[in-house]
Amino acid sequence: MLSRRDFLKLFTVITASAALSSCAPVYRRLAGNLPTIPWTPLNANDFLALNRLTFGPRVEERARFAEIGLQAYIEEQLAFDSIDDFSCNLQLSTFNTLDMAANELEAISNQLFENYDREKVPNELRQATILRQLYSKRQLYELMVEFWSDHFNIFVEKGSCFYLKTVDDREVIRRNAMGSFRDLVWASAHSPAMLIYLDNQANEKSHPNENYARELMELHTLGVYGGYTQQDVMELARCLTGWNVKEHFWLGDFVFKEDLHDTGVKNVLGLTIQPSGQKEAEQVIERLVEHPSTARFITTKLARRFIADDPPPELVAKAAQTFLQTNGDIKSVLRVILLDGLPLARPKYKRPANFVLSALRMLNAETNGAAVHEHLLRMGQAYFNWPTPDGYPDHNEAWQGNLMPRWQFAFELIRNEIKGTKHNLRDLLDASSTGVLHDDVDALASLLLGAPLERITRDELIDSVTLAGVAEEEALQIITASLIASPAFQWR
Amino acid sequence: MEKIMVTTLTQTLPTWMPRLAFAPQNTAPRGDTLVVIFLRGAADVLNMVVPHGEESYYRLRPSLGIPRPDDGRKKKEDRVIDLDGFFGFHPVMHSLVDAWQEKQLAVIHACGAPDESRSHFKAMELMERGVDDERGPASGWIGRHLATLNTGNSSPLRAVGMGTRPQRSLSGSVPVSALRSIADFHLGGDPRALQQMRAALSTVYQNDVMGQETLSIMDTLQELDPTGYQSPLNYPDSEFGLALKQTAMLIKAEVGLEVSAIDVGGWDTHFAQGSVTGLMPTLMKDLADGLAAFHADMHGQMKNLTVVTMSEFGRRASENGSLGTDHGHGSMMMVMGGNVDGGKVHGEWPGLGEGQLMGPGDLAVTTDYRDVLSEILMKRLNNPATNEIFPEYQPKMPNVIL
Repeated sequence: MLSRRDFLKLFTVITASAALSSCAPVYRRLAGNLPTIPWTPLNANDFLALNRLTFGPRVEERARFAEIGLQAYIEEQLAFDSIDDFSCNLQLSTFNTLDMAANELEAISNQLFENYDREKVPNELRQATILRQLYSKRQLYELMVEFWSDHFNIFVEKGSCFYLKTVDDREVIRRNAMGSFRDLVWASAHSPAMLIYLDNQANEKSHPNENYARELMELHTLGVYGGYTQQDVMELARCLTGWNVKEHFWLGDFVFKEDLHDTGVKNVLGLTIQPSGQKEAEQVIERLVEHPSTARFITTKLARRFIADDPPPELVAKAAQTFLQTNGDIKSVLRVILLDGLPLARPKYKRPANFVLSALRMLNAETNGAAVHEHLLRMGQAYFNWPTPDGYPDHNEAWQGNLMPRWQFAFELIRNEIKGTKHNLRDLLDASSTGVLHDDVDALASLLLGAPLERITRDELIDSVTLAGVAEEEALQIITASLIASPAFQWR
Repeated sequence: MEKIMVTTLTQTLPTWMPRLAFAPQNTAPRGDTLVVIFLRGAADVLNMVVPHGEESYYRLRPSLGIPRPDDGRKKKEDRVIDLDGFFGFHPVMHSLVDAWQEKQLAVIHACGAPDESRSHFKAMELMERGVDDERGPASGWIGRHLATLNTGNSSPLRAVGMGTRPQRSLSGSVPVSALRSIADFHLGGDPRALQQMRAALSTVYQNDVMGQETLSIMDTLQELDPTGYQSPLNYPDSEFGLALKQTAMLIKAEVGLEVSAIDVGGWDTHFAQGSVTGLMPTLMKDLADGLAAFHADMHGQMKNLTVVTMSEFGRRASENGSLGTDHGHGSMMMVMGGNVDGGKVHGEWPGLGEGQLMGPGDLAVTTDYRDVLSEILMKRLNNPATNEIFPEYQPKMPNVIL
C-alpha cells in the first residue's frame, strides 16, 4: 500500500457529493471551512493511479475515474480501439507526413528538392506525438507508445532515420503497442529505421557488424543479464547478415540481400541454425521472445515505468508468468502490472515529457506542440533525440537536479508566453470561483497536486507574492506557476 | 452538524525527498578542481593515441589505420604525431601538443574496467558507480567522494553536471545540479516579477534541498557575464566547448566548484568512423581543441586543476567490414594538470599481436581505471577514503601524479 504519510496526505472524500460525476460540477461550500473545488476530489491513491494511467489527469478523466473505479477504468483504457478519438485525430490532420510511405518521405526529404527542409518530417512526428499525448482519450495506449519508443529507441539524427522513424513509429510502435510483444520485436527487426540506426545495413558476410545483434538481445529481449555470450552476439550477427534497406525502387523498404548473407551454419543460444537465409534470424527472434529472461526483462521495465523504480519482485514474477503464458500479450501483462501493482506504487519523478504534458492537460491548455518541444529539449527529453539505443532513462535520480528549465516552463506557460500555446485560468475556475483568492488557490492545488495545501503554507505563499498594489489575477498566476514548479508536482 | 475532516498537504514537499543527512568522516582543505570528461559510446582509443610502433596495428586496420609519423607516401598532416617513438596522437589532436610538451598532459594506455560484457550501458553504469558488479552501492564514485570529504565548502556549485542531466557518477547524498547554460539559468521577467517568482519558489521549496540549491545557483550565476567572457584560445563551438568554457568561468569566479562532470557523446563508431578525416576525427578534434583551449585559458591555475578523460571500454583492434570498429575492451585515459607526470604514456602495453589480444580480439586491460582515479583522489583531492569510493578494490598507484 502507498503509505499515506509517504505521499500526498489523504484528501478525505467529502460526503456523498464526491460521487458527483463530471460535467458541470456544482459544489456547495460546506460549513464554511471547505475549499470549493470545481473538480472531482480524489484520494491520494486514486490521484496517484490516475497519474500513472494518463499523462496527467484532465478534469473529465478524474470524474470518469471516480465514477467507474480503478478496475473498470483500466479495462476501458485497455480496450483502446473502442475509445472514440475523433477530436484528437482532427488535431493531426495538418501533418501530412504521418501516413506517408518511406519512398514518399524520402522524396520530400530529398536534398535536391527545392524547398528541402530536413527537419520537416521529424518535427511533424514530434508535434504529432505531443498532440496525441495531450489530446488523445486513449491515454494508456499513448503511454505504451511512449514506453516502446524508449524500448526500441531510434535516434533521428542517424542517417536516414530522420524520415524513416516516421514509418517505424507508425508500423512498428503504434501498430503493436498494445498487441503482442512477439509481433513488436518482429516488426522492429524488419524496420529499416532500426536496421540503419544500429548499422545492420553494414552487416555483411566475412565482416559482420555486431551492433544490432547485440542490442536485439541486450536491450530488446533478454537483457544484459539474460544469459547470452559474446559468441552468441557474433553468431546472431552472422544470421542477420543481409538484413538491409532498399536503396532504389521502393527505397527505404526492408530487403533481404541474399548476396550479403553468410550461408554457413550458426549456433545461437545453443540452437543450431541451418542455412535458410532470412529465416535464420527469424528463427532466433522466435526463440528470443519466448525466453524466460525476456519475460522477466520486459515485465521489470514495465513495472518500473508504471509502479516503482525498484518494482516488487513478486509483481514482476507474476507479470513474467503471464507474459510466458500468453506469448507476450501486452494487454494481459499490463492488466497484472496495473491491477496488482498500483496499490504497491512508489513515487516516480516525472520525466520532462510527463511534467510538461501533465501541466498542459490539467490546466486544459491548448498547443500546437512546436514551442513546447523546445522546452523539452532544454529539460533533456527532446523526442526521438536520445542517441544511444537504451532510450531515455526511467529512474528518478536521472531527472532530479535540473529544476531551472521546469521553472522556466511553468512561468512561461502561465503567462501565456509559449508560442502557439495558451490556457485560461479564469475559464478553468469560473464555474465555481467565489472570487476569493484563497479559495482559487485551494482549488488549483487540489487540481494539480491532488489536495489543497495546508492552510499555513497556502497563506504564506499568497503573502509572498501579494505585494502592495499587485492585482489578485497576477498573484493567482504566479501562485499557479509555483504550484507547477513545486516539488510535489514533480512527482506522479 | 456533522464534523467534517479535511486533510491537506502539510507541505509542498513529499517526505520521501532526499534530505541532506550525512557526516563525512574526513575533513581536509579542498584540493584541486577535478574535471571528469566521459567519452560515451566506447571511444576507439587505438586511433586517438596510436601505437604506430606496432606492426599488428597496421595489419588489423588496413583502411582505418593512421599512417606512421615517417610514412613518406602520406602528407605530413595525415600522419600520426609522434609522442615517444612508439605512440602518437591522431593528427587532428595536434592542438594538444603544447600541453604535452609542457608535461601537463599524460596518457594511460590499455586501461579500463574488468567488466567484459561489452555492453555500453552495463559498463558505463558500473564505471560511474565505481563498482565491480551491480550489487555494489547505487551512488556514484564522485558522489561518494563528495560525501566522504568535508572541505568546509557548502556551495551549491560544489559539483556540477554539465548538460541536462547530472551524471550517474555524481549521484549520492550531496545534491548536484545539472547546468547546461549559464546564460539561460534565470527566470526572466522584470525585477518586480522576478522578486515575486523567487519568493513563491522559495516558499514552495522551503524544505527541499535541491530547490534551495537551484535558487542560490540562480543568484550566484546572475553575477556572471557569460557573453563577455574572453579566453586566450577560442573554445570549440560545441556543447563540449561550452561545458569547458563554463567550467573555466565557474573556477575563475571562485564560486566553490570542486568537480565538473562533462559528457561527450557519439563515440560508438560501428560504421564509417573515418580514418584521417570523417566522423571520429571530428569528435577527436572537438575533444582536443576543447582541452587545449581550457589548458590555455586556465594556464595560470593548472597547479590547482586535474582533468581526466575516460570511456566505458575500447573498441575491437581490427576494423570491421563497414569501416568502423565493434565493441572491444581496453581503453585509454588522459590526465591533464599542473601536477601530472606528463609528456609520457603510462601503463604496461600489452601489445596487439597474436596471443596478446583478449576475447574476440581486443586490447587487454593492464591498468584499472580506479587506480588512476584513486591516485588523483588521494594526492590531488585530499580524500583518502578510496576504500569507500571504490568498495572492495585495492588500488595500486600508477604514478601518474607527481
